[in-house]
Amino acid sequence: MTIVIDALQYLGYVLIFPGFLFCFLAGMLLCGIDRKLVAKMQKRVGPPILQPFYDFFKLCGKETIIPAAAERNTFMLSPLVGLAALVVIQLFIPVFGFTAFSGIGDIIVILYLLLVPALAMILGGAASGSPYAGVGLSREMVTIISCELPLVLVLLAVAKTVGGAIGTGLCFSLSQIAEYQEVNGSLITKISMLPAAAAMLLLIPGETGSHPFDAAEAETEICEGLLAEYSGAPLGVFKLSHAVKMLSLTSLFVALFLGGLGTGILALDAVLLFLLCALITAASISFVHAFTARLKIEQIFKYYWTVVSLLAAVSLALAWYGL
Amino acid sequence: MFKRLIAERTGKSPWLFHINAGSCNGCDIELVSVLTPRYDAERLGFKLAGSPRHADIVVVTGPVTKQSLPRVLRAISQVPEPRCIVTMGSCPQSGNVFRGSYSIAGPLSKYVPVDVDVAGCAPKPEAIIDGLTLAAKILKEKRGRMN
Amino acid sequence: MNMLGNILSYQHFPIYAIMALFLGSFLIAAFGEKRSVRNILALLSVTAALGFILALMKPVVFHGEIISYWMGAREPAGGYAIGIALEVDALSFFFALLVAVAVFVSGVYSIQYMNRDDNEKEYYTLYLLLCGGVMGMVLSGDLFNMFIMVEILTFAAVALTAFRNTVRGAVEAAFKYLVVGCMGSTCILVGTAILYAQTHTLNLAQLAQLAPGDVNTATRLAFALLFVGFGTKAFIVPFHPLAADAHGAAPASVSVIISGVLTKSGIYGIIRICYFLFQSMGLGAMQFLLVFIGSLSMFVCVTMALAQHDFKRLLAFHSISQIGYVLTAVGLCTALGVSAGLYHAINHTLFKGLLFLAAGAVLHETGTTDLNKLGGLAKKMPHTTALFMVGAFSISGVPPFNGFASKWMIYQASYQKAVESGNIGFLLVTIIALITSVLTLASFVKVSHSVFFGQLPPELANVKEVSWGMRSAMGIFALLCIITGLFPNLVTAYLTEPAAAAVFNVKNYIEAMGFDGSAAVQLEAGGFQHAGVWDPVSWLLVLCIALLAITIVAVAGKYGNVSRCRAPAVENKYQLFYGGEEQEFSQLGGEDLFWGFKHNWRGYFKFMHRLHSGVVNDYALWAVVDLALVTLFSLIVL
Repeated sequence: MTIVIDALQYLGYVLIFPGFLFCFLAGMLLCGIDRKLVAKMQKRVGPPILQPFYDFFKLCGKETIIPAAAERNTFMLSPLVGLAALVVIQLFIPVFGFTAFSGIGDIIVILYLLLVPALAMILGGAASGSPYAGVGLSREMVTIISCELPLVLVLLAVAKTVGGAIGTGLCFSLSQIAEYQEVNGSLITKISMLPAAAAMLLLIPGETGSHPFDAAEAETEICEGLLAEYSGAPLGVFKLSHAVKMLSLTSLFVALFLGGLGTGILALDAVLLFLLCALITAASISFVHAFTARLKIEQIFKYYWTVVSLLAAVSLALAWYGL
Repeated sequence: MFKRLIAERTGKSPWLFHINAGSCNGCDIELVSVLTPRYDAERLGFKLAGSPRHADIVVVTGPVTKQSLPRVLRAISQVPEPRCIVTMGSCPQSGNVFRGSYSIAGPLSKYVPVDVDVAGCAPKPEAIIDGLTLAAKILKEKRGRMN
Repeated sequence: MNMLGNILSYQHFPIYAIMALFLGSFLIAAFGEKRSVRNILALLSVTAALGFILALMKPVVFHGEIISYWMGAREPAGGYAIGIALEVDALSFFFALLVAVAVFVSGVYSIQYMNRDDNEKEYYTLYLLLCGGVMGMVLSGDLFNMFIMVEILTFAAVALTAFRNTVRGAVEAAFKYLVVGCMGSTCILVGTAILYAQTHTLNLAQLAQLAPGDVNTATRLAFALLFVGFGTKAFIVPFHPLAADAHGAAPASVSVIISGVLTKSGIYGIIRICYFLFQSMGLGAMQFLLVFIGSLSMFVCVTMALAQHDFKRLLAFHSISQIGYVLTAVGLCTALGVSAGLYHAINHTLFKGLLFLAAGAVLHETGTTDLNKLGGLAKKMPHTTALFMVGAFSISGVPPFNGFASKWMIYQASYQKAVESGNIGFLLVTIIALITSVLTLASFVKVSHSVFFGQLPPELANVKEVSWGMRSAMGIFALLCIITGLFPNLVTAYLTEPAAAAVFNVKNYIEAMGFDGSAAVQLEAGGFQHAGVWDPVSWLLVLCIALLAITIVAVAGKYGNVSRCRAPAVENKYQLFYGGEEQEFSQLGGEDLFWGFKHNWRGYFKFMHRLHSGVVNDYALWAVVDLALVTLFSLIVL
């Protein structure tokens, strides 16, 4: 009997909160808020906050054309796999004190799982056979490489700080990081973590492929790159994935640096998490979007491997010497 | 429920694909002005898409020269259903001052069914927005007919 | 009856496994004119070798026994080993199992892969000779015997590299391999001779007993010579260019052996000399040596791979890069590190074998491995593509495939080492390993785009899927990749941890041969607990549920509402979007991909390009320089 209840509970985690349904609603809302904010900053009225939902449902109602040159199965399946991987990431990220699945994956797993949606998009794009997708693929991969070094440094810095404090030397487990913050307050209050938090804020637009780091999907020069041949529902799923990725990264930021703010009541925590995510989206994605122009791909690489990596490395060095 | 959601929302997020079929660039500039802070068509959900596969509304400017005709038709055929075709400016409708030239194949309506014509040389942004919203309505109807 | 029982006792199985391969080789040379006879003999001998090794699992792994076997029953006399010995502890067994599996799968694959070549008889003779050499080397309990086997495998590998001598560069590659390989073998011989002069024995166990107590300038020199000698066999930096040339020219089934097995024999040799013969004298310095060379191999080779545009050369560089992971992890000298390194060694054999076989399948069907000339094969060879993707995901460490499981352990081991020792160098190693991993992913994205996805070049329109025999060989590897990825606990419990425990228990190794092991240095293995968690089965379950839910919603939402071209002539609607132009063939060449990355590193790539001149004199010079540096290091620091 308890097994059935457990199974239902876990199914609930996967399907409703913090899984599929939450990802869908919160991600889309974040995306809508982002678009509205950018419009406001540019003195426009902007689309309704629910615009991403409209876009998604419209795309679901469109015809899906599979080009003759495409490899059909990969082309159709990769959007779904990418989205599923993102939902799974969300399950591992703690919502303050609560983690849906704490015994399965740690930070390193998250680091690799974050590659999977991008990989799904790359393979889907490559399978379409479009030359624009070829260019987009190249840029997307370079963006991933660019973000990887600073992200690794940030995660190692956090692992060292928390591990050093709880006495195990290092700590890769996200739920332990959340527990530590429940007891000792948010990590962002530590001086050594400030540069890491700043680096992470700068990383979020790169990881999600938002402006100005969207060279991979530049619609004006390479016709949206990897997505050039996608239409209808698969395109909608990719747009949804983009929105969910915003949620994943911002909630990862909350889990790493803003833990310990939770109230203990799950429903309130969920709302709080969403509000914090929206705040971080506003700060790191919308704000940067509104006043920058798209960077060239080699500039993206240079920027992440110098400025952002340096910030993260400073943080790691401070954590290393126990400050 | 799902079907109704889709049908209701189709008119609220029309994405544009812009084809220049030999235009003098006047209309093209006007189309861009529609997306600027002053007129902000994005408040109605309009967005410029980079690829015809993403588009709902094809906006054609220019008198459709013989050189551009096959390309225009190919790009239009690559737009998934339901789709709307909007001609912008007088050129694709009548040929305008280029009418009778050896290099003109237009008007566009000879080759594909055109849903909305926005006349003017160049049309005012207000007129463009009006035409596009009309196209969005037609789009919704077309979507309704698909089921 | 008693005699039969005696013959079938598992004590004899190691020598049977070696003999099965050598005997197969000789029999094929003598009677292998007919194809059917040849194939049956080859299959029989690889199957027999696999069977004998698997049968050893019970005594060696489950009972923790160390099999010592004196050839011709020549037991030691007067305290000195006179006869030739085989000694199989969990470490030897571990490597022998890798050899047996790779040899078996590659043998199955060869039968259809080589059917368009001449001289198949010579191929199988050399192939089994190579396999027998590697098997003999990892099971040997005698340093000089190891050298003999190294010689056999080197010459067989050289001959097989030049086997397709009509391929451009094959003879040149074989020549380079011959020159530098012989320098390596000579180093091993001289090192062995010096040790023999110092200790008057060649038996590994007895050497392990005597050598550490007797570390002087001569034995230090011997260490440097042996280290460099086995380094050439593992192709670690600075010997990596040889691997690239050899793999580029050799048949794919041989590449599997060279990359999956021969390099492992080099790693095996390094583990034996570092941890057994010298019991890691001057532990910190030894760690530095192994980890430094390992990280260097890891990083240099992955960047070299990004610059390649030949499928097999690219795989060759990755092969060394992954060997770098193994060496780094083993060099950490902790129980977790050694276990992680050995785990990665298994995985490397499996996924690299799979990738080489996939490359061979592409070569077999299209006649080229040039990334700039291929593309779109996924539509023509769907199974090969799927199998290749399993290998590509494994090597780039995408969960839940096996590469991730072992890399995850390696990061933990190196980071833990960094935290425990307070040495920031190990932290750098963790970061390099993580970056190497993402660069590996980039490299395989490049391959999958330029070989299997993208557009099909018009001249490849008639390509067909490869035969079932070749697909099933790849299937075995793919299945093993998935199994070892999904059940890391089983792999570590039954394969890598016993082997790692053997590394930290030199005393047993010495005493199993009847020598006094009381003086052996017991290395501190250190207990370990994982700092994180990774549970692939549950993860996969969650992913499947999520995927299922999404798929159901998608199907309900008319995800399948697709229209696709059914007519042979492609209508406008189904053409790719080319800014309105008619569809034409245009594939981004594999060479030019990721220029945004390469542009920022142009200085580095230019430097590397100059270094890898392709001239055998230069590579011989590198070998000499490497030997000089390691000698200096071992004389001064170690």
